[in-house]
Amino acid sequence: MIDQSKFLEVVGARKAFGHALVLGGVDLAMPKGEFVSLLGPSGCGKTTLLRIVAGLLAPDSGAVRLDGADLTPMPPHKRDVGVVFQNYALFPHLTVAENVAFGLAARGRPKQEIGATVTRFLDLIHMSEFAERSVRLLSGGQQQRVAVARALAVQPKLLLLDEPFSALDRKLRETMQIELKRLLRELATTAVFVTHDQDEALVMSDRIAVMNSGRIEQIADPVTVYRRPATEFVLDFVGLSSRIPGTVVGHDGARAVIETAHGRIAANTDQHSGASVVVAVRPERLRIGAAPGANTINVQFRDLSFQGSKALLHFDGNGSSQILAEIADASTDAIKPGTETSLSWAIDDTLVYPRAGSAA
Amino acid sequence: MKTPGRLRDWTPLLILPALAYLSVVYAGPLLGLLAKSVNDPSGWSIGPFYKFFADDYSWRVISNTVYIAVCVTLVCLVIGYPVAFALAWARGWVQIALLVAIILPLSIGVVVKAFAWQIVLRRDGIISQLFVGLGLWSEPNRLLFTETGLILGAANVFLPFMILPIYSVVKLIDPRLSEAGATLGASPVYGFRRIVLPLTLPGVVSGIAFVFSLSVSMFVIPSLLIGDRFQTLATLTGRSFLLMRDERLGSTTAVVLLAIAVAIVVASTWASRRLGGRT
Repeated sequence: MIDQSKFLEVVGARKAFGHALVLGGVDLAMPKGEFVSLLGPSGCGKTTLLRIVAGLLAPDSGAVRLDGADLTPMPPHKRDVGVVFQNYALFPHLTVAENVAFGLAARGRPKQEIGATVTRFLDLIHMSEFAERSVRLLSGGQQQRVAVARALAVQPKLLLLDEPFSALDRKLRETMQIELKRLLRELATTAVFVTHDQDEALVMSDRIAVMNSGRIEQIADPVTVYRRPATEFVLDFVGLSSRIPGTVVGHDGARAVIETAHGRIAANTDQHSGASVVVAVRPERLRIGAAPGANTINVQFRDLSFQGSKALLHFDGNGSSQILAEIADASTDAIKPGTETSLSWAIDDTLVYPRAGSAA
Repeated sequence: MKTPGRLRDWTPLLILPALAYLSVVYAGPLLGLLAKSVNDPSGWSIGPFYKFFADDYSWRVISNTVYIAVCVTLVCLVIGYPVAFALAWARGWVQIALLVAIILPLSIGVVVKAFAWQIVLRRDGIISQLFVGLGLWSEPNRLLFTETGLILGAANVFLPFMILPIYSVVKLIDPRLSEAGATLGASPVYGFRRIVLPLTLPGVVSGIAFVFSLSVSMFVIPSLLIGDRFQTLATLTGRSFLLMRDERLGSTTAVVLLAIAVAIVVASTWASRRLGGRT
């Protein structure tokens, strides 16, 4: 009996290059049909993990299982795991149709079936009229689509995507993200997607695994990752936040009271009294003006960065605090630089992390 | 306001020095040679060619020439193709050592190398002793002054001209292409046949063109390794001019040799263009 939540299962994947530990025993499990992003800065081990799953790199220890089979000792061509490479790696000597047909031909499928499948997939990516064209004559977006079609045409059990949009300009990237998501959903493909772009991960994923120096810091759905970052690293890597250092001075029922340079702040946390912590809150959770029953601090407005549909307000915090608030209505003359104002936010929106460097 | 004029492209002028040099020291004499081959005392005629091609011995010489060139090219291809990959995929000092090992022998004169091969190929030479020692030969044999000896020696001299063009192509192949092939279900053999091999063909074609044209026209190597018994177009041309003082025969064989070499270069350029168009 196969555990349905473990269609793909990576257990204790560990990899070091020389003395540098790139992957420090990573576990990952995902059900069939799920789209998981590996999100992290460059060098966090996300591509290494992807290459281990694809069989292009052997782990020092650990195992990869797919659909109940142990892939670990299997060479890549027997794994039934498709890959879309960052630079697409299209075969330059072949046409668009020949590229898409490659995997089917390698598996010795009958000619007629190959022809029909290629036609279907070229249609899916709206590239039918380019079938006989050399891939070298395609634009970046077209090449990317051919790479996806080539990987999907063999209907692999698992699709891996290694930053497939990083070479595209922003506008095109957004279009391609939506198109790819639709295509993968249509084909019910299980996919692991590597990216360093948080927006991309938030838009596309069922779940996001945020990686940092060879470990997964948090794996959860995009909303949880954004609203309830498990660690300060996740908080910092995904989205913006205001941060105020402080010390837990006591508890008021279930709530902790934290002494900061901006006064006392209440939060739901299991940090014990005396712990050095960082209090954080997402910028769109901040309201201008005091509010009863909420955390309120007094700050001085410094400047505003206008971002079209919204604006970010920067405030001068006391000590090493950094405080920013997001407002939807960017009526820039609402407040003047230097103005004293109070900001408030709900106690439930208050995030607390142990301070880096303090005893953990 | 001045309307911007079209910028003149002076690039074609860059070939002028080479063109001038080649016209004086190459094209001129070559035309003279060609003229001599079709100039009878009685006037212009293709008589010398008619006479040459009517002679069975000429056909022996032509087939000797082509046979040796084909064999040398094949030996170079079989040995050089994998070496080109080893060279392209090597890193750091290993690659430098390999490159030096391949290029350095080019600086050693052909005469020196040919004499070295005489030592290896003679009856009491290294190959003979090795084969007798291994029990492959019942008695010592002489490879010197045989066709096998000539092919081995010439292949040794021309090997870099096969390795380097293939290496230059392999170096440019994205290693991700093979990985992509594998993730699509291609076994290593299938992936090589369908991805790597086609992408290296332009290099293979230029390697073949280099080695073949060097092999058909080699003069010193056959003179030293096989001697007068076995004539090629190049050695016959040399003999005609230097020993027999038959300038007409020499011009004729030289033109035939030139025709073969030009045909190879043209054919390989065409093939490379065609293959190149798909890589």
